[in-house]
Amino acid sequence: MSEVVARVLVVEDTPTQAQLARALLVGLGHQVEVAESAGAALVAAREWRPDAILLDLELPDYNGMELMLRMRAEGIAASVIVVTANASINAAVEAMRAGAVDFIVKPYAKARLAVTLANALEKRSLVAQLATVKARLDRDQFFGFLGASAPMQAAYRTIESVAASKASVFITGESGTGKELAAEAVHRASPRVGRNFVALNCGAIPRDLLESEVFGHVRGAFTGASADREGAAKLADGGTLFLDEIGEMPLEMQVKLLRFVQTGTFSPVGSSRVERVDVRFVCATNRDPMLEVQAGRFREDLYYRLYVVPVELPPLRARGEDVLLIARHFLSQFAREERRAFAGFSPAAEQSLAQYSWPGNVRQLQNVMRNIVVLHDGDRVELDMIPRTVRRGAADEEKALGELAFAEVGRAEVGRTEAGRSENGRSENGRSENGRAELVTAARVVRPAAPAGEEDVAEIVPLAVMERRLILAALRQTGQDVPRAAALLEINPSTIYRKLQTWRVDGKLPAG
Amino acid sequence: MHPELREFGAGYLRTQRKDWMSDLGFAAQLADDLSPEDLRMVLSVFGADVERLTAALSGAAQAGDAAAFQRAAHGLAGAAGAVGAVALERACRAAMAGEGAIPAAMTEIAAISRVALGDLARILAGLDAPA
Repeated sequence: MSEVVARVLVVEDTPTQAQLARALLVGLGHQVEVAESAGAALVAAREWRPDAILLDLELPDYNGMELMLRMRAEGIAASVIVVTANASINAAVEAMRAGAVDFIVKPYAKARLAVTLANALEKRSLVAQLATVKARLDRDQFFGFLGASAPMQAAYRTIESVAASKASVFITGESGTGKELAAEAVHRASPRVGRNFVALNCGAIPRDLLESEVFGHVRGAFTGASADREGAAKLADGGTLFLDEIGEMPLEMQVKLLRFVQTGTFSPVGSSRVERVDVRFVCATNRDPMLEVQAGRFREDLYYRLYVVPVELPPLRARGEDVLLIARHFLSQFAREERRAFAGFSPAAEQSLAQYSWPGNVRQLQNVMRNIVVLHDGDRVELDMIPRTVRRGAADEEKALGELAFAEVGRAEVGRTEAGRSENGRSENGRSENGRAELVTAARVVRPAAPAGEEDVAEIVPLAVMERRLILAALRQTGQDVPRAAALLEINPSTIYRKLQTWRVDGKLPAG
Repeated sequence: MHPELREFGAGYLRTQRKDWMSDLGFAAQLADDLSPEDLRMVLSVFGADVERLTAALSGAAQAGDAAAFQRAAHGLAGAAGAVGAVALERACRAAMAGEGAIPAAMTEIAAISRVALGDLARILAGLDAPA
């Protein structure tokens, strides 16, 4: 019996052949239907969706070739094996040109039928796998990520490849590129998906508490430790431990983490009890980890333990069309949430978004889209709805691009004068193209400059005072609408609520 | 495979004339590949096909209907080919190819079919015999 149970449609109008084929196929463990005409076969193929079809070419209504054409037109993807007599092998070859995967000559033994069918099914499976892989290569979404650009496809492939193993993953990328999302993707694509994903931001936890957060503590381990508490390592047992901003981890803690990574064992703070866990490590930093090692801020031995499979998340400015893809996604999401009519962007708005360098990456784009949707409404986003920072940044970059292009043209002109007229102008064109590629790269990393003259007129006051003034001004301007004020300031509404509460407590605001 | 059937198959292969199931190797293969129940079912269907299609051939020959004769000859050739009855298959394919006049082809096919049906009856009786 073959290993794969398949649905096989036998298309045969001679009962002896049909029953023999049925008996052999059932004996091989397959499910079988018989159609005695091409028309009946088409109906069965449409409704029963067989994996393979054993097809006699000579049929009472129309022939097997015509049947194959009709099935293909309907998108029926069964593997067709043509059954033929010695005398009609030429017809079988012709049928293979028309899409049949193989042919089998009558009379055939069970073993021959089994091999031919297994080959056909394997080929079909490979074709299906190829289609899946192709679809993955073209995908624009991956475990919460949006983006179809080549650098993101590379990141998706790496995540997918490493997910099944236990190898440590080291994610690098600028702030806002989605490092935690990538860590979650590693976990969700892995066999550990049924267990915990525990994320710890090493930069956000006070140094004194970090060891306890990672390894837990026992009651009385330190002042305030009133009960035993499990740490991230224990919680992540069987799952994934994500150490974000690993570069911020103090060196003395790095020693303890190294021991944990090497042995899989740790002791909670205040305890001599050794615990063993099965944890997959995923780390992230927005710094260059090797530079941190060279600067002595990150232990080299820990680096080599954790930097096993690197995943580099590209900055948004390197992701081409992804900017607009993501912008459209957020526009649609926020318009739905805020009950706005926005359905797209004007060409000028699109151009502005596409040209900006997005130093804050996807997070910044998300905030900008929220800002636009909260403050405006209409069928489409117009250029003047885009925050000035972005418009100005895009314009600056366009200007920089233009200046560089102008300079490049100048250089090309000089080159042409110096080199004289070259063959068909090819060398000038080559230089110009190369120069453009360079200047595009250079221009992409330009950051939005401060508005001209703004520094000159600004009153110098403590930052906290300026922060309070700005937030209160935004609230006044929006009629005390916190979400809109937050959108204007490109911060979370919760930040404003928290600040207001603090100022009230400090008496810097009237209560209520 | 049931040992009695294997014995029957071997004995059958040693003793039968080659005018029906002359591809004896394949006939043995059928007995190996199918359960006794399936072998009986397939051979019974083959017998029914031979009777039905030779009658259709005869009717077409008498009516001088070449197209109907071709269709019936094609069906009979397929059935014979499926169970390895090479002589019958060969005669049908020769008739389909227009080798000789229809009446003469009909006579030959009818004769081979009669032998085939007789042999088939004996095989089926052997299959039904107690072990």
